[in-house]
Amino acid sequence: MKTVEIKIGGLGGQGVILAGMIIGKAATIYDNKHATLIQSFGPEARGSACSAQLIISDNKILYPYVTKPDILMVMSQEAFTKFYPEMNENGTLLIEDELVKVNNLKPGIKLYGISATRLAEELGRRLFLNIVMVGFFAAVTNLVSADAFRKAVADSVPKGTESMNLQAFEKGYAYGQKLIAETAKVT
Amino acid sequence: MRKLQKLHNFMRKYPIKACLKNNTEVTIHPFEKADKENLLKFFRDLSEDDRLFLKEDVTKEEIIQRWIEELDYEKVFPLIAETKGKIIGNASIHFNKIGWSKHLAELRCVVARDFQKMGLGTLLMRELVLYAQEKGIEKIVAQMMDTQTGAQKAFQRIGFKKEAELTGFVSDLTGKKHNLIIMVNDVSELWKKMEDLLMDYDIKITG
Repeated sequence: MKTVEIKIGGLGGQGVILAGMIIGKAATIYDNKHATLIQSFGPEARGSACSAQLIISDNKILYPYVTKPDILMVMSQEAFTKFYPEMNENGTLLIEDELVKVNNLKPGIKLYGISATRLAEELGRRLFLNIVMVGFFAAVTNLVSADAFRKAVADSVPKGTESMNLQAFEKGYAYGQKLIAETAKVT
Repeated sequence: MRKLQKLHNFMRKYPIKACLKNNTEVTIHPFEKADKENLLKFFRDLSEDDRLFLKEDVTKEEIIQRWIEELDYEKVFPLIAETKGKIIGNASIHFNKIGWSKHLAELRCVVARDFQKMGLGTLLMRELVLYAQEKGIEKIVAQMMDTQTGAQKAFQRIGFKKEAELTGFVSDLTGKKHNLIIMVNDVSELWKKMEDLLMDYDIKITG
């Protein structure tokens, strides 16, 4: 695997940083890869723009900052507007499609959308949004094994909430797998 | 209505299959009338040491018969774990539908000696905690005697904390008095912790 630059963007309170941490944990602790994580957030806990920058590689990472994301995952329109111009022109864009509307999609960019908020609400709690997105990320990008993700999710959430969070992960993962299979049929 | 639908969705997942630490394949499903004889055998086969601390003398057929007659998953949701047609674990969660403790539920769990420390108790208890969360329960209580240190550790693993110890409050099946340990899993607190974890200002990296 070459070095992959990932950026996750959203609003404070959506669990952007936790999503980044889970992806990084899955890659490093449970899939023996190298990863770096840099988090950026506003002064407020809720509502302000925030992002996580991740680099995943089979080799040691010498520079931890994301300059041209190969994968951009966004959960707010503001994050899309801010980070989309930076994207690799052949990159992968993952969006929460009820919160983000994509305009002027560049021809080389592969777009995948999921109504993660609605899927999270089906589980009874909107706060699973980020874990549904992590499941979606796992299925679409296939960078790290699903089992590594499951372990990282279980390891990162409060004791007693593991099962529900894993259900959220599986929802996003199943949706992503279905979407990839359908895309493969079309192309 | 939505709550009922959610519970219906929850029940649909059974039976579920799982693999224990020793590679034993188990099937987990809610206790049904047809499981009576099998469950009775499970309790009768328990070692005396394990039976000593049970709340009721479950080796008596009339006790199990009463469970069957009163079977209502809204009041008590019992799960059993089977392997090769033999029950090896039983756990249940008890709800108070009315009164001042209707936000509480009580969790009980028994696992056959040969299958203890293999993750079965944790698996059963996690399922029931999940069920309680679906029902909107705020606190789950577990009661045990002070000498049941293994059980206390198992409950701690799934988020229970010791809340109280009442001296000489219970007696085992031989009549010997023990301190009663009350452990609580504050499920509402769990979701508060989850919300805190989603606050994107700083994150505590664990593990």
